[in-house]
Amino acid sequence: MEQVERLLKRTLPFQVVSPETLDGIAEISRHEVFKAGEVIYGAGQPAEEVYVLVSGRVAHRIDPDIKARVHEKELQVGDVFGWAAILEGEKVRLADVACIEAAEVLKIDGARLLELLRKDVNFGEAALKSFSQLISQQYYLPPSVSERVPTTLSKVGDTRTPASNEAEPQTASAWTLTMYRAGEWLRSPDPYLMMVGFALMLGFWYLTVEVLKLPRFEDLPGLTTVVKEWFAEDPVYGMSIYTAEYYQHIWVSIRRVAIAFLLATALGVPLGLFLGWSRSFREYVFPVFELLRPIPILAWVPLAIIMFSGSETPVIFLTFLASFFATALNTMLGVESIDESYTRAACCLGANRWQVFKEVIVPGSMPYVFTGLQISVGVAWFSLVAGEMVSGQYGLGYVINTSYTMVRYPTIIIGMVTLGIVGYTTSAMVRVAGNYMMQWRLREMALGGR
Amino acid sequence: MNMKKIRRSLFSRTTLRAIVSITVFLILWEAGSRSKEWAGFTMPWIGLVPPPTSVLSVWWDLLGDTGYWQSWYLSLMRVLSGFVAAMVIGIPLGLLMAVSRTFNSITFPSFEILRPIPPLAWVPVAIIFWPTEELSIAFVTFLGAFFTVVINVLGGARSIDMRFYQSAQAMGSSQWDIFRRIVLPATVPSIVVGSSVGMGITWNVVVAAEMISGGGGGGGSGGGLGFFIWNSYVGGSYEQIVIGMISIGIAGYACSELLRGIGGFFTPWLRTR
Repeated sequence: MEQVERLLKRTLPFQVVSPETLDGIAEISRHEVFKAGEVIYGAGQPAEEVYVLVSGRVAHRIDPDIKARVHEKELQVGDVFGWAAILEGEKVRLADVACIEAAEVLKIDGARLLELLRKDVNFGEAALKSFSQLISQQYYLPPSVSERVPTTLSKVGDTRTPASNEAEPQTASAWTLTMYRAGEWLRSPDPYLMMVGFALMLGFWYLTVEVLKLPRFEDLPGLTTVVKEWFAEDPVYGMSIYTAEYYQHIWVSIRRVAIAFLLATALGVPLGLFLGWSRSFREYVFPVFELLRPIPILAWVPLAIIMFSGSETPVIFLTFLASFFATALNTMLGVESIDESYTRAACCLGANRWQVFKEVIVPGSMPYVFTGLQISVGVAWFSLVAGEMVSGQYGLGYVINTSYTMVRYPTIIIGMVTLGIVGYTTSAMVRVAGNYMMQWRLREMALGGR
Repeated sequence: MNMKKIRRSLFSRTTLRAIVSITVFLILWEAGSRSKEWAGFTMPWIGLVPPPTSVLSVWWDLLGDTGYWQSWYLSLMRVLSGFVAAMVIGIPLGLLMAVSRTFNSITFPSFEILRPIPPLAWVPVAIIFWPTEELSIAFVTFLGAFFTVVINVLGGARSIDMRFYQSAQAMGSSQWDIFRRIVLPATVPSIVVGSSVGMGITWNVVVAAEMISGGGGGGGSGGGLGFFIWNSYVGGSYEQIVIGMISIGIAGYACSELLRGIGGFFTPWLRTR
C-alpha cells in the first residue's frame, strides 16, 4: 500500500493531492501485469480506468483521427495514461496502448477517482488541472480534449462544463489584483512610515515657521496660513479653490504644455526615428542638433521673445524646444538599441526598407520613445514655469512670480503645490498610456522575473 | 599610430558631413537673418535673429571685456556651489535610502511629493528665505541637481541583482562589507550619470534664476551669464543675446565633459577600448 502511495506521489496529477485523497486512490487502485506485446487497450473501446505505469515499457499511439502534434510516444515509469476515463462526454479510448516489454500497471477506476478528487476541497481542483496540463503538454493534444477534464466546481453528473471555467481561477481580474496589492501594502509598514515622513515634513514646516518663529523661517508663509488660504471661500490674497482665477491659471498652463508636448511628439518622434534609421541622415542632421542642444532651454527666453510676437507663442516655443530635444534624442537612442539581428532577420525574410522600418524599427524603439516622452513632459513643465515667470500672462509660473512681487506669499506656495500636483498627474498619464501601449513589454519583464 | 587614427577620424566621411551640415546651417541662418537686406522681405522668425557674422564681430570686441568674463566666472561659481552641495547632500541621502528600508519608507514619499515641483518655482521662496540673492540662486541651483542625483543613486542601488546580496550574506559579509563592496561600486555609474544630468539642469536653473532675480549683487553686466543675456535683451543688443547663449552652451558642455572625464576615472570598468 505504502509503495503504491509512494508511486502515486511521483506522478504528475497526484503529487498535489492531500494525504487522505492519496490513501483513497491507493485503496481503489489495482495491480495488473501485462506481457510483452500484449495490448492494454485499443482506440474506440469504452474507457473506465486510468492507468499508471509502474515498470516496463509501453507504446502509446494516439488515434490518427485525433489532431495531436505528436502521435507516438513511449511511456516512462510513473506516466499516467488512460485518462480518457475521467474526461467529460463520451468515455472512449483515444489511443492504442501496447507493451513493448512486460509491464506492470496500476488501474484506477475513473468514476471513483473523480469522486475522490471532488471531495478533496483543497487540492482536487489542482489535480484535475494538472490532468488537463498533462493532456496538452505531454500528449500534445489540442484544448478540445484537455478541456474535457472536469473541474470540481461542476456538479457531479454534469456532462459538460463551459470552457471558460478552466481559465477562470488563473487570470484574476485587474480589480482583484489591485485590491490584493492594496491589502498587502496596508499590511506592510510602508504606509505608516510614509505618514511619519509626511508628519515630519509638515511638522517641521509648521514648527519652524509658525510656532518657534525661527529667524528667516518666520518670513515664509506658514502651513496653516497656506491651507486656510487655499481652502478659503473668501481668500485674503485673492486665490483659492473657490475662485475661477485659480482654474484659469491651471487651464492656461496645461494648455500650453499640451500644445508644446503634442507638437514636440509629432515632430520629435519621426525625427528621432529617421536619425536612428538612416546613417547618412544622422550624419548630416545630428551635428546641428548637437550644436544647439547644450544651450540651456532657458537661455532661449529672450531670443524666443524677439522671434515670436505676443506673449503666448514664446512660452509655447520654449516648452516645445525642451520637449523636442528630449523626445528626439530618446527616440534615436531607442532605434540604436534595437538588436542588429532583428533588422538582419527581417531583411533575410525579404522585407524591404520600408517594411523593416514599420515592423522592426518603430515597435523596437517604443520603450525608449515612452521613456523619452516621460522625460519630455517633465522638462516641458520645467521650462514652462521659467517661460511664464519671465514673460507671459496667466499660468502657474506667472502666479508664483507675481505673487512674489505683490507680496502675496501664501499664494506662492499654493502655486507651487498646484504645479507639483498637475505636473505629477500629467507624467503619470503619460506613464500609464505607455504601459498600456506596451503591455507586451511588461509581460516580457514579468516573465523575466523583473 | 595615434596620429594616424586622429587623421583618419578627422578626414572621415562623418566629419566631412558634419562640417557640411554645420556650414549649411550657418549659411541658412545668415541668409535668413539678412533676408531683409538681400531679398527685401523679412523671413518669419529667423529674420529677427542677428546673423552669425555680426555675432562673431561683436564677440571679437567682447573678448577683451572684463565684464563678460566676470559673468562667466559668476555663473560658474554658482553652478559649482549648488552642484557640489547637491552632490555632498544628495549622494549620502540616496545611499541611505537605498540601504535602509525604513528610512526609505519614511523619506521617499515626501521626496516624491516635492520632486515634481520645478526648481524654478522655488525662486521666490528662496529669495524670501535666504538673506542674500547669491545664496538663493545657489539654493535653487542646488535643488535642480539634488533631486536628479538622489533619484539616480537610488535607481542604481535598486537595480542591483538580489543574488549579489544573497551570496554576500551567505558568505558571511557584514552590513558594512555589503555596502562597501556591493552597493557603493554598483551605484558609482549611476552617480556619474546622475551628476552629469544634474549638471545640465544646474546650468538651466542658474540661467533662469539669474534672469528672474536680476543677477545678484554684482549689478551692471557683472551678474552672471543669464543676467548678461537678459541685460542684452533689455538693452536691445541682440548679438549679445546669441553670444550669451553660445557661451552658456560652451560652459555647460565643458562642465559635462569634465564630469564625464572624472566619472570615467571612477568607473574604469566601464571604459570602452
